[in-house]
Amino acid sequence: MCAYYRNNAYEEDPDYPDYSGAQNHTRGYVKTRDYPDSPGPLNNSNYPSTRSNPYSVGSRSSDYPQSLAEPDYIGSQSNPFHPGSSREPGYPASQQNPDFADSRGGGHYASSRTNPDYLGPFGEPDYPGAQGNSNHPGPRSHSNYPGSRRNPEHAGSRINPYIDTLGEPDYPGAENHFKSLNFFEEPDYPGAEDYQNSPDIWGAPDYPGAENDRDYGSSENPVLSRTSSIQPSFHRGDDDPLGILGREDGDYPESIEMNSMEMANPYGHPVPGAPGNGYVNPAYVGDDSPGQAYGDPLLSGCDWLKSPQGQKLIASLIPMTSRDRIKAIRNQPRTMEEKRNLRKMVDREKSKQPRGVLDFHCCVQGLSSIALAYRRAKSSLSELLSSISLWQKTLKVIGGKFGTSVLSYFNFLRWLLKFNIFSFVVTFSFIIIPQLTVAEKNNLQFTGLEFLTGAGYFSDTVMYYGFYTNSTIRHGNGGASYDMQLAYIFTVGVCLVICFFSLLFSMARYFRNNFINPHIYSRGIAKLIFCWDFTVTHQSAVKLKQKNLSTEIRENLSEIRQENIKLTLNQQLARFCAHLAAWVVSTGVAVACCVAVYYLAENNSKFLENHREPGAVLLLPFVVSCINLAVPRLYSMFRLVERYEMPRHEVYILLIRNIFLKISIIGILCYYWLNIVALAGEECWETLIGQEIYRLLLMDFVFSLADSFLGEFLRRIIGMRLITSLGLQEFDIARNVLELIYAQTLVWIGTFFCPLLPLIQMITLFIMFYVKNISLMMNFQPPSKAWRAAQMVTFFILLLFFPSFTGVLCTLAITIWRLKPSADCGPFRGLPLFIQSIYSWIDTLSKRPSYLWVVWIYRNLIGSVHFFFILTLIVLIITYLYWQITEGRKIMIRLLHEQIINEGKDKMFLIEKLIKLQDMEKRANPERRDVEQLGPLHVREHDAAPDLRFRRSVQEDNPKV
Amino acid sequence: MGNKHTVFTHEQLEAYQDCTFFTRKEIMRLYYRYQDLAPQLVPLDYTSCPDVKVPYELIGTMPELKDNPFRQRIAQVFSEDGDGHMTLDNFLDMFSVMSEMAPRDLKAYYAFKIYDFNNDDYICAWDLEQTVTKLTRGELNAEEVSLVCEKVLDEADGDHDGRLSLEDFQNMILRAPDFLSTFHIRI
Repeated sequence: MCAYYRNNAYEEDPDYPDYSGAQNHTRGYVKTRDYPDSPGPLNNSNYPSTRSNPYSVGSRSSDYPQSLAEPDYIGSQSNPFHPGSSREPGYPASQQNPDFADSRGGGHYASSRTNPDYLGPFGEPDYPGAQGNSNHPGPRSHSNYPGSRRNPEHAGSRINPYIDTLGEPDYPGAENHFKSLNFFEEPDYPGAEDYQNSPDIWGAPDYPGAENDRDYGSSENPVLSRTSSIQPSFHRGDDDPLGILGREDGDYPESIEMNSMEMANPYGHPVPGAPGNGYVNPAYVGDDSPGQAYGDPLLSGCDWLKSPQGQKLIASLIPMTSRDRIKAIRNQPRTMEEKRNLRKMVDREKSKQPRGVLDFHCCVQGLSSIALAYRRAKSSLSELLSSISLWQKTLKVIGGKFGTSVLSYFNFLRWLLKFNIFSFVVTFSFIIIPQLTVAEKNNLQFTGLEFLTGAGYFSDTVMYYGFYTNSTIRHGNGGASYDMQLAYIFTVGVCLVICFFSLLFSMARYFRNNFINPHIYSRGIAKLIFCWDFTVTHQSAVKLKQKNLSTEIRENLSEIRQENIKLTLNQQLARFCAHLAAWVVSTGVAVACCVAVYYLAENNSKFLENHREPGAVLLLPFVVSCINLAVPRLYSMFRLVERYEMPRHEVYILLIRNIFLKISIIGILCYYWLNIVALAGEECWETLIGQEIYRLLLMDFVFSLADSFLGEFLRRIIGMRLITSLGLQEFDIARNVLELIYAQTLVWIGTFFCPLLPLIQMITLFIMFYVKNISLMMNFQPPSKAWRAAQMVTFFILLLFFPSFTGVLCTLAITIWRLKPSADCGPFRGLPLFIQSIYSWIDTLSKRPSYLWVVWIYRNLIGSVHFFFILTLIVLIITYLYWQITEGRKIMIRLLHEQIINEGKDKMFLIEKLIKLQDMEKRANPERRDVEQLGPLHVREHDAAPDLRFRRSVQEDNPKV
Repeated sequence: MGNKHTVFTHEQLEAYQDCTFFTRKEIMRLYYRYQDLAPQLVPLDYTSCPDVKVPYELIGTMPELKDNPFRQRIAQVFSEDGDGHMTLDNFLDMFSVMSEMAPRDLKAYYAFKIYDFNNDDYICAWDLEQTVTKLTRGELNAEEVSLVCEKVLDEADGDHDGRLSLEDFQNMILRAPDFLSTFHIRI
């Protein structure tokens, strides 16, 4: 009775966050309204009768599916029992208790199973053994629960009309994660966090029991009446095991328990409930696909689907949308046969559901065919997209020969190409096509040198800003008019905005995937071993990779062996000086280059006046490209002096120096263009800038081609024939990627002055891909070091975003807001500022009443300083909050990590204790051979012996000791 | 297009699409790859779900697997009976898990199984030794191998039970962002 009452009390727990929203609450609630009175007179012997309580049956029908649909069920089921118990204040005390092992898993527990009256005393919160025992009933209860599923009565209720209304929101992934780790909750864990967690933890254990004795609806009653006041967790710690023990009632044979416990473990270990094993991380079970149970491998095929877990999975799949369902099914680690059956069963169950349970349900049925058609259309669209995905085969070959790291360069190139295709499509359709319809005849002569200089004939084509008209294009009478000014500024603007967001999102995605937990990075010999590159398929590449890997492992080992050799002061000083000198020299070189470029550019105009040949304009781009070619090589020679301990540091420092050089050169050129060219009063300065950028881009392209064909080729000849000790070179991913970033920056700046630039970049990238591919195949060998390619790509995109794209935005903003467009050419001719076109457009709109909303938006949002001030403030606040949350999570992760370690120690301690007990017992009754078989060595070495089983056998024997 | 639907029924294709990370076209491509492995064995008509298995000896000759040191383990893990002989379903399963789209958890689960040579659901020192030997082609001596195994266990074994459970493994994989891109076989 006591147990039962307690059980009830614990279900009064207000913490059923998932339940509060569910509609069908009320059913169970209404029917079982007066239920809490009834358990009063009940005692243990009466307890079974409450099971057949009529109203509880009613409540079951409504609530049962709810718990089935509870997405986290699978994950939380195996976890939640432990945290509370070990979190209990009594825990440390009992650890000091010499009988600890006993109280935890021993005699009390075993006897409680046979003696129902023993349950009562367990209910006392201060009973010393209760806490210890609470550990074990936990697993029992859920073992118990699947057993009940085999009950035919329950099978009926699985097909439940209410299921669809029960789409419980998922727990956020982080929460899951957290919860699971909580399993290892230990005494020193911060209290506040305990409470924060406890709702989830203790919400979960209820379901098994509830399904068992069908009075769940009644016990839910108080949930509705009580609103807040989270109970201290130790209360639950006491209540919970009792409830479970009470329900367990010894009905279910041991075999089912064991079996079902195996199934309860989402990732399917055959060692149920072993301490290390119970730590099941629901985050892995799936952040958003609740039904993802990584089931027991022992069960197969249809058996699995009929198993409680399979049924649970099916039930959880039913309320999902078809997209989520497919995703969940796909993510099942099961064979195709099982997945297909699962899919079939879910579809069948879904179609079986009676209609009209809820009003909108009919609509859902009606819409399903539309959804299906939509899905088919989408899949065929994605097929179409994948069929045009470029270079699939080439990439496969590259990956097969050179591994993922080199592949990342080519993927980056392809990504940039897609970017440029997009920009080109936008500019082409909104600026170039309208302009072509009103194009005037080009009178300039075409010589062919224009391809290099970009001047001459090309100045009067759609290529450059100066060619575009400032008039409104109108075809025929009454046709729609097209304002070129607005089209120009909006197209470029929209292009940049879309680029901004796609960069931002891809950067965020990469960060999320690749910097999940960067601060726990260790040198990671484990990663070397488990991250074998499966993409590599070429035989010689595999051999080389194996060789490289063994070298790397050896290096790693030798590092570990002679760890922390302290450098002497002199050596440290020398190293510091070397670093300092390298930095000073590299910065000095970069500054010198910038100064040189600036003076060259300034004097270039005078030089051009003297030299009238059209080829003379190529001097500046030539010098810039020479700098870009030579200086990075100089930088990479610094490594001979600097000697970084970690190759990763070396790569990052090299990247930083190179990007500094390239960006400062572009920066100084921008300064020159905007402050000297634009203000010099030249006719059509925008076109001049466009031509300069075109030349820079083209010269860069020519240099890369030459570098690939000559430089790399020569290097191979030298390496192979002349100085064989050098061997083949490795592909320098960092330098090559920086070249791409440099070119892309130029393209972004140039799009405003030369709208065809994306097309040119498209062509160059396309050619570059093949050139680099051929050069790679001929001149290079696979990289010898394991590269952290994924993080590098993230870093590249960050570089592309931060100095490059933001710099472009600044430059263009200055151009548009500060500079005066040239008077006689281009779409903005005659205006005092580029932005003036927008101002006058707004003025025109404000005269038309139907467009007042645009004006309002402009005045109050886009043009308003206050709006941006408030927006910035809000963003800052949110950022700060998120930052704080992240910091908190970091601390949490650290604590939880410590807990895992402690729990491991705890486990070992327990096992030792048990071994001692075992020995004692052996001495007591030497005839028992079965225990002997499960010796300690057996457990540790022959892993097939499940710890818990071993422990349990001792527990049962314990009373005899 | 017409040819496609003589191999599979519409429902079959749809089921495959829902159960793998592949598009219809990729499924067909994989089917033809599978068929090419054993043209006499694999029928051109799958509408009646024939029970056909391609032996491991043929699966292992695929260029994608031929030089992979773990090819046998991969085939064993994905085959129904653990002997490496694969049905079309197993074959599709294998490449689905190894495809680009498969999520980290799924990949980690199967990677764990691949590295778990003795199928005891733990990666123990013996499994690690096997892995290291396969990876380095026996270039390291026994002492080095055991040192490596010790280091790996030291690094990745969260609960210090002397072996890696699936959770330890997944936790370690989380720290290796390259895993997603390297545990990938292009077809």
